[in-house]
Amino acid sequence: MTNRFLIASFPLAGIAVAAASSAFAVEYLTIEAAQRLMFPSASSFTLERPKITAEQLRAIDASTHATSQARQFLVFRAEADQRGDHRAEQPILGRLYVDEVIGKSELITYAVAITPDGAVKQVEILAYRESHGYEVRDPRWRAQFAGKHAASPVMLNDDIANISGATLSSRHVTDGVRRILALDTLIRGSGT
Amino acid sequence: MKKICVALLLLGLAAPALAATEAEVSAAVAAQLDRMQREIDGLRAEVQRMKEEKSASPGAALAPQQQPPPQAADARVAATSANAPASSPAYASLTASDAKTTTSEPATTLFGYGEINYNRPRNNSADAQLDVRRAVLGLAHRFTDKTRLGMELEVEHAVASSGDRGEVEIEQLYVAHQFTQDVGLQTGLFLIPAGLINRIHEPTAYYGVERNFVETAIIPSTWREVGVGIVGTPSSGFARGLEWNVGITSGFDLNKWDSTSSDGRESPLGSIHQEGQKARARNLSNYVALDYKGVPSLLVGASIFSGRVGHGQPDFAARNARVTLWDGHVRWTPGRWDLSAVYAKGTISGARDLNLSFAAGSTPVPKEFFGWYLQSAYTLWSNGESSVSPFARYERFNTASKIDDLPPGLGFDPTPTERVATVGLSYRLNPNVVFKADYQKFKLDSSRDRYNVGLGYAF
Repeated sequence: MTNRFLIASFPLAGIAVAAASSAFAVEYLTIEAAQRLMFPSASSFTLERPKITAEQLRAIDASTHATSQARQFLVFRAEADQRGDHRAEQPILGRLYVDEVIGKSELITYAVAITPDGAVKQVEILAYRESHGYEVRDPRWRAQFAGKHAASPVMLNDDIANISGATLSSRHVTDGVRRILALDTLIRGSGT
Repeated sequence: MKKICVALLLLGLAAPALAATEAEVSAAVAAQLDRMQREIDGLRAEVQRMKEEKSASPGAALAPQQQPPPQAADARVAATSANAPASSPAYASLTASDAKTTTSEPATTLFGYGEINYNRPRNNSADAQLDVRRAVLGLAHRFTDKTRLGMELEVEHAVASSGDRGEVEIEQLYVAHQFTQDVGLQTGLFLIPAGLINRIHEPTAYYGVERNFVETAIIPSTWREVGVGIVGTPSSGFARGLEWNVGITSGFDLNKWDSTSSDGRESPLGSIHQEGQKARARNLSNYVALDYKGVPSLLVGASIFSGRVGHGQPDFAARNARVTLWDGHVRWTPGRWDLSAVYAKGTISGARDLNLSFAAGSTPVPKEFFGWYLQSAYTLWSNGESSVSPFARYERFNTASKIDDLPPGLGFDPTPTERVATVGLSYRLNPNVVFKADYQKFKLDSSRDRYNVGLGYAF
């Protein structure tokens, strides 16, 4: 029991530290700031524990041609304020995913907000650690993801424009968003 | 925790039971049980308190009303590749140790790239050649959150020794420091921001087995200098997307001009670059570069680099000579297309007297040299990470389009402008590995027509 608990708490402790001390280049947003930015009307964020089997993950990786490099992957359920009501009744505003992908040789930490019906609301870069490829934080580039859903291609050079000089970073973030959309479909389907 | 409690309970029950009467035993057992119950309650409260402490502190930093995640490890399942089964103990321990590393990510990362090329002249197959063109090992080290080291070690042509033609070089060695989100400094041996290829020169990043002529003969890529530069990458405001670079660095050394060699005709600046090797530094150079990246799939930029190249050498006939090189470049990647164009022009002023000292028939210092190309690639087929992209490039370049006017009989003639058409394709096995094949046709000197095949990688 205790062991189980300690293991469970490590990812959280890890991300809290990661959020407090950025790596090279820049940390642009903490997770908390990203939550406020992406779901401004939410009153609470609940860390979810999606029940996804290794097999399901393998299937997602295969179908999306993407794997995550994340040292941590977090899913928060954004809930609206319903004071006095029972917790279970709180309307869900969407989910916020925190993930990491490799840029060129270092990790990019980013967050994807997805609406309850499975459309990308917003993509934010939380931390970028390399001197090249920083262009993925450009708001106009990130805006391309808005409205994408699991059935969209979400492919670089297809429905997502490339960034000249930042091909690797833009490709990996695009792949990551595509994978998160597939995961989100699974999570919404499982009713967690 | 429970196991310990049970063990204590058994010991506590067994020891007194052996040495006492039945009545004593039951009284003792009752007292013992009572004591143990209190202990268990105490321990339970202690565990609960520890639980709350553990979950409350990091949780509070994240968001209000977060629940302690008794099974957050499950969330981690989604994070990593599915190679490890979620339920195995190995995975559980991996999760714990892996999560620990988050607090101190590896400060040092390795990367690299390389290419192996085959060239076969169309009309002279005897000169066909296979070459391990370059193998580069790079290292990035993060000293602190804001300061890092970048380094690339390169071996060209596989073997370097006194009897071989290879080279070992430190291609980059610099410290970068980020002042703010939008402004950083780099100092050391670093790449000059000119053209499209010089800064991003991995074989997976460009089309054609060989780099184009404009960005080798005119812009001497891979071109690096020792100095200090400031990089601005504004992410908001009116300058959003406009990357700017300014710097002061070492420059070229005209003392290295060898009029008896054809090197200067192949690449005027490539023959007098210093590459941080005991570089003459009496004169320093400056550069300014602007690149607009504010619209997805578009890059428009220009750069200028200028500096004196005589370095105050006594008895040198071109002590006040100056090299200036500027370029304009654009790359547009709408959908499956990849379109790019570069124009580059260089001048070397103040070399007239130096040219006068050269014997007839030697390689003079050009007054002007230039080149441009247009290139178009289209991703015809892609499946997952693999893709096939045919491309075509047309370029014109002249490494000595103007030469100082010299007295009759002593003059050197400008060279005519070469035109090269290249067609071929890149097969990307994945974004890190590319196979290339192309054919190059030279308008002026058809003896240079050739077939090329290459393997390139980058990670």
